[in-house]
Amino acid sequence: MKPMSDPRKILFFLLVLGLAPRGQELRCFSEYQRPDPFGGVVAPDRSGAGPEAAPATGPALRLQAARGGYVSFQLSASPSGPGPYSLRLDFAGAGNNLQADLFKAWFHRLEKSGELIPDALQPVSNPYAGAVPDPDNRVPGQTAQAFWVDLYLPLSARPGEYRGTATLESGGHRSEAVIQVTVLPASVPGTDVLLVDHNSYGTSWIADLYPKIREGAGTDFFGSDALYRLIHAYHRIFYEHRGTYHQLGYGHGGKVGPEFAPELAGTGKTRRVALWDRFDRHYAPLLDGSAFAGSRRGPAPIPFVYLTINPEWPASFLGWGEPGYEAEFTRVVGEMEKHFREKGWTRTRFEMFFNFKKRYKGFPWDGDEARFPKEDAFFLEMGRLLKKALPAETPVQFVFRNDASWRMEEQFRTLAGVVNFWICGKSILSFLPESVRAGRQRGDIIWSYSGPPSMKETSAAILENPLLAWIWGLDGYVHWQTVTPDRDPWFQSDGEAICLVYPGERFGLSEPIPSIRLKIQRNFIQDLDLLEQLGRGRPPDWIRTEVTRRINGKPASEWWTPRPPFADMPPFEWTNHSIGEGVDPSMQKYRNWPPGYWLEIRRFLYGQIEGGKQG
Amino acid sequence: MKIFLALLLCLGSAAAQAGPPELEKDLQEIARVATVMVDGDVCERIMTERALKKMFTVDPKDPWAGSDNFDVNIEPYIQTKKTLIRLSRLVAYPVDCNLWMPFRENPRKIQVLIRNRYEMSQYWTFGQLHADMFPEMKEVLDTGKRIAVQKKGDILSVLTPVYNSLGDIVGLVEVVSRARFNAQENVK
Repeated sequence: MKPMSDPRKILFFLLVLGLAPRGQELRCFSEYQRPDPFGGVVAPDRSGAGPEAAPATGPALRLQAARGGYVSFQLSASPSGPGPYSLRLDFAGAGNNLQADLFKAWFHRLEKSGELIPDALQPVSNPYAGAVPDPDNRVPGQTAQAFWVDLYLPLSARPGEYRGTATLESGGHRSEAVIQVTVLPASVPGTDVLLVDHNSYGTSWIADLYPKIREGAGTDFFGSDALYRLIHAYHRIFYEHRGTYHQLGYGHGGKVGPEFAPELAGTGKTRRVALWDRFDRHYAPLLDGSAFAGSRRGPAPIPFVYLTINPEWPASFLGWGEPGYEAEFTRVVGEMEKHFREKGWTRTRFEMFFNFKKRYKGFPWDGDEARFPKEDAFFLEMGRLLKKALPAETPVQFVFRNDASWRMEEQFRTLAGVVNFWICGKSILSFLPESVRAGRQRGDIIWSYSGPPSMKETSAAILENPLLAWIWGLDGYVHWQTVTPDRDPWFQSDGEAICLVYPGERFGLSEPIPSIRLKIQRNFIQDLDLLEQLGRGRPPDWIRTEVTRRINGKPASEWWTPRPPFADMPPFEWTNHSIGEGVDPSMQKYRNWPPGYWLEIRRFLYGQIEGGKQG
Repeated sequence: MKIFLALLLCLGSAAAQAGPPELEKDLQEIARVATVMVDGDVCERIMTERALKKMFTVDPKDPWAGSDNFDVNIEPYIQTKKTLIRLSRLVAYPVDCNLWMPFRENPRKIQVLIRNRYEMSQYWTFGQLHADMFPEMKEVLDTGKRIAVQKKGDILSVLTPVYNSLGDIVGLVEVVSRARFNAQENVK
């Protein structure tokens, strides 16, 4: 038989067999347009993305970035047909000025709709060899693989123009995308203007998410170094993404996890710390910063940490209101202060925080989201005990944290000078600018709280809460839960609304892996840092108003909501419905922006930087 | 009080964690003392009238109204909780004594009103304000019998009645522990 040599005949033959090579394609997308597994963009990110967010018309991308931070983009690699491919990033000409990290995106199958949305990011080697359809991800008919690319620009990077390429090879075909990066002379400040916190509870979930490590540690996983390594890995991933991490170490009845607290002995006047071993194994590397050695941001102590102080620890509630309670509390807390001082742990704020609610039937008052005035007495008493336990001139920073909602406005007054760290529900806070002002004036720390958006929302939804916190001039924002994937996040996901990092064990990693949402948030925080820098020396609200006007045409001062009528009733008469009706319509003006709206702000920011207004 | 202390000294010397037969024996003994020591009149004063009313008022616009308005009178609560903590100290290993109270107006429902440090229970579902009456609890409330129950793994509960000054059974205490203590459980 005569061999077929005419390419047109070969193509015809393949078409007949249904094996024709598709047009191989390598496309660049902005960070706000998540690619789908078929070469397009996922539905939530398609509309209103603006010209900056539109996919590049050719395989090329222009980026600008400041030093000491990241700039990111996404690639959609469509090989010429089913089978193996390779992807390579090459920034060799950039020397040490650009460091490229390549991540393969996982397409999560949503349980209800069957939609496929990329979110978990598996770190992969560069170059990377894979196959489409991806045998692990198992997307029927998959034609494209999505990748997230982080370019890190060290502080030492030389400002100027750099060029890199991404190269896709499959079936003898080769496609190239060109990435032009302008490194600006500005640098992202080391300290963030807004601290984004990622909250979690206890450690039992770690054993569930890392069964191989748990089994490898034998019967004492919770006393093993493996547990502490994992805990530190969670701190590291959030730190590297310009955030921080909290892990509460006690339950609603006051039970304390042994890995979160010093071991105690004795009762009454003999109550004391018996052993610091587990506490120090857990916290010493976090409090002296060594847990972050080798990270790009460099070692630094964690800025905040929960203590396990609660009405049942270190003093037993059995003695509440009696001299023994005070003796147990002040002796142990005093020993904690001494230990922290001797270790030099003076850059972290140690939080006395009450997480329990009456409805959970452990204690007779709401430590969290108090609703009744009579509950202030408990806060005042705990504040008195804390003050009594600590030397007046201690360099160790203990703070009294209160997560407030219903009685926020009252408590800002009734607990002034006692509580000095406030975590505020955003709906109620939205009509209390004066409370924020008063709290800030007396030096209180004020954060807001809410939860991460589901991956089903637009890519930009992750910005909404931190942006609002920044516009309001707060110090931080808390995602209340961030480490709990759905039962099957890979193939039956509900959107991962309480998960911003995923267990890496599926990919052979003994640490968590990031999500697209977390990376978008990190890049946004970098921008806030630069914006804040830009606003220095200007009127206080200037930079915020420059931002808000570009979003909805209103000045920052109008990003509060009007005081609703229900606010003048006693808070214990409020309902969730009354808050929803009274506040939510007004909050619509700073919600639900199209994906990519932030690129307009970034363009303004870099324009200002390039124009020499910031160096 | 002397009797109470003697019992404490006697039972407190038990092994760090009792195995099943010893565990049931210990819990039965704590339960027996609980029925003597827990004051039903005080327990009946724990819930506020307002919270009781709100608990069963269905607000279709606000499914959390019952929970948000849950409230207690502080003094009887603390007095009873302290007694429950003392009872749990009759042994040297983790035991919880939970107070369960039925509703006078709604006898088919019951609620746990006070829980303790380890949050152990075979009946409480996290976040649940009240529950349908459990058959074992109904039996305790109707007959005054102490009942041992093991229906969730290695958790063992002894249910024991609480009396008021009229001699009426007004509630019960769930004395609960487990054969294998889990230090991480309920730390959240």
